[in-house]
Amino acid sequence: MKKRVIALLLVAVMAMGMFAGCGKKEEKNFSDGGKVLNIYAWNEEFKGFFEKYYASKIPSDVKVNWIINVSDNGLYQQKLDDALAAQANASADDKVDIFLAEADFITKYADSNATVDVKALGVTDFSNMYNYTVQAASDSKGVVKGVSFQCCPSALIYRRSIAKDVLGTDDPAKVQEALNSWSKFESVAATAKEKGYYMTASFASTFRVFSNNCTSAWVNGNKELVFDKAINDWIAQTDMFVEKQYTLKDGIWDDPTTDQMYKDGKTFCFFGPAWYFNFSMTKAQDAEKGCSGDWAICQGPQAHFWGGTWILGAAGTDNATLVADIMNAFTNDKDIVSKLVENEGQYPNNKAVAATYAADDTKGAVAFLGGQNATAVFAAMTDNIKWENHTKYDQLLNEGLQNKLQEFYKGSVSKEKAMENFKTYIKETYPEIVVK
Amino acid sequence: MEKPAKTKKKHGVSYAKWGYIFILPFFITYFIWSFVPQVLTFGYSFFKMYRSGLDQIGPEWNGIQNYVELFTTKLDGIPTVVKYAGNTMIMWIAGAIPQFLIALLLAVWFTSFRLNIKGQGFFKTVIYMPNLIMASAFSMLIWTVFSVTGPVHSLFVNSNLITEEFDFFFNKVSARSIVAGINFLMWFGNTTIVLMAGIMGIDQSLVEAAMIDGASSIKVFFKITLPLLMPILTYAVITSLIGGINMYDVPFILSKGYGTPDNTTMTLIMNVQQKLSTAKNYGSAGALSVLIFFFSAALSLVVFKFFVPHDSLKNMKKGGK
Repeated sequence: MKKRVIALLLVAVMAMGMFAGCGKKEEKNFSDGGKVLNIYAWNEEFKGFFEKYYASKIPSDVKVNWIINVSDNGLYQQKLDDALAAQANASADDKVDIFLAEADFITKYADSNATVDVKALGVTDFSNMYNYTVQAASDSKGVVKGVSFQCCPSALIYRRSIAKDVLGTDDPAKVQEALNSWSKFESVAATAKEKGYYMTASFASTFRVFSNNCTSAWVNGNKELVFDKAINDWIAQTDMFVEKQYTLKDGIWDDPTTDQMYKDGKTFCFFGPAWYFNFSMTKAQDAEKGCSGDWAICQGPQAHFWGGTWILGAAGTDNATLVADIMNAFTNDKDIVSKLVENEGQYPNNKAVAATYAADDTKGAVAFLGGQNATAVFAAMTDNIKWENHTKYDQLLNEGLQNKLQEFYKGSVSKEKAMENFKTYIKETYPEIVVK
Repeated sequence: MEKPAKTKKKHGVSYAKWGYIFILPFFITYFIWSFVPQVLTFGYSFFKMYRSGLDQIGPEWNGIQNYVELFTTKLDGIPTVVKYAGNTMIMWIAGAIPQFLIALLLAVWFTSFRLNIKGQGFFKTVIYMPNLIMASAFSMLIWTVFSVTGPVHSLFVNSNLITEEFDFFFNKVSARSIVAGINFLMWFGNTTIVLMAGIMGIDQSLVEAAMIDGASSIKVFFKITLPLLMPILTYAVITSLIGGINMYDVPFILSKGYGTPDNTTMTLIMNVQQKLSTAKNYGSAGALSVLIFFFSAALSLVVFKFFVPHDSLKNMKKGGK
């Protein structure tokens, strides 16, 4: 009897679960008139810009609600996925209206039914946006699902004083000349080491430079995990850098690494786009212990980009007009975009605005970089950015590889074991990926 | 106990059913929030059911495939589940041994009428304190203390105990010891309180009689207190064991979810979380949860048999004093 009851219950509940999964697709997946604007983000960066430059334009009867979860270990994506899955049945005030996505996982959301065609919302002018930012936010049929307020060519950010000591110059053109290939980069690292400096502050510093120049995606059409030549090159170079102590053994966001940004740091260079030196290098900007002004940028060994934040409209939003207006404001409103460049040190996703700053060295001067015109440097690099070989799995594959290899660099395991652990980690995280 | 019930029955009014009515809310919530999910988990474990990106795959009948995969995914030549179960037990035992030894000692001291320790309330509060802090917050604190930029590392460097960078969280022994240490610190106060309650339930005249006959404190402890404390001690060990098998937040935070180093701090529940968080893999996570359920049941039974000898079970059935 008892068994029969349990069996019956099991069947009933399972059946209910199946029906719940079959929601109907709506024709028009956005509307207007919502009173709460829910925005999902993984840090405070966009919130800061939003509150400074846009908040005043929001209708007084609409409340803005920020839901911020850190992105480590995929937490942000988990929370967002849960919210999007519940979107159809959520009450009007709980519906996700806007969410932000990063280069590592935008593909997952852009190429899905969870996002809205921005052209239908009212964002129609893409002429000033950089092409790769539009490609990244497009689904497999070419429908654009989001816009980015930043363009993220990534530069080599070096300490002027250390460059003078190691290379005898801190002139960006000459430093670039000395570092424009990996073999030159490695030989400068050796010189830096002799003079008591580290070349980079984290074993993972150069990861994006390599991974961005992959010729194949992490996962191929047969869902097999693929190690691109660029990834293998990165591992080989990092093995050597760690062994010869050209770099440190902690992750890019860890304290031992970021402590190197202080005045008494011994690190020659970091890699990053505009958002990196204005948002993530706070230790270098510290008034007392930092060294603002002692930095400069150049392209470095290989062109690449890193990250970037896209604004996407969630399917089912009840603030469609407002969402479109926000998207337009941070990409096509010259006034706001100029302020992002001038006050926030952003490199904008607006070619026209970028061009005016790139052409004018007094307007484009960044105090943190000792007066260098960052916009001009980045503008020259934007042509080389390509959006290719991205998958929806990228974030945890990139993070997982770095974390598992770190165990080798810290001396916990052998290299082979670290790679085996990485593969097991992927198998257990993504059941559909075939790992050989 | 029976007498008053009988007298009441004579008057024709039974309050017996009220007892059931008052505990009904528990059973209703238990049924909805615990029992149904348990049954569901069991059901899911036979289905292929996960998300690829935002797309739902399945549910699709999969037989015992999920279980088979659990045992064919291997690390170091052994199935990962076995390795993670081993990690969990090692870290639990390493924390539980000091936890029970110290809790027993403190419980005996606090209840001893001969020692009559002053300021008991203060000490009890202090030893219970770590349990009031959220495990994750406590782990964050300990992480900061032991990290390579933290005070313990600089102390070791300054006293020349280590010459080059030593990351406590990248060494198997130290990483596991820190997890065990946190569990010990968090739970020994709780165990002390439970054991004290047990000891206070023991008839003090037995202890006094033994003392008058010339028994030493140690003899009294081993011959009187400990045997009579067994039922409570068993309860404490089993609850601790179940808590240990469910160990999650402390090692998760210390290893950032990766079970660093070399998956040696990866526990069973961390593995469930890993399967469930990104891919929402209810199939595989369900299969693992079912295994954990039987693992806990089996181990609890072993502990029960080990601590409670057969004849004392008979005594217990005969009723109290």
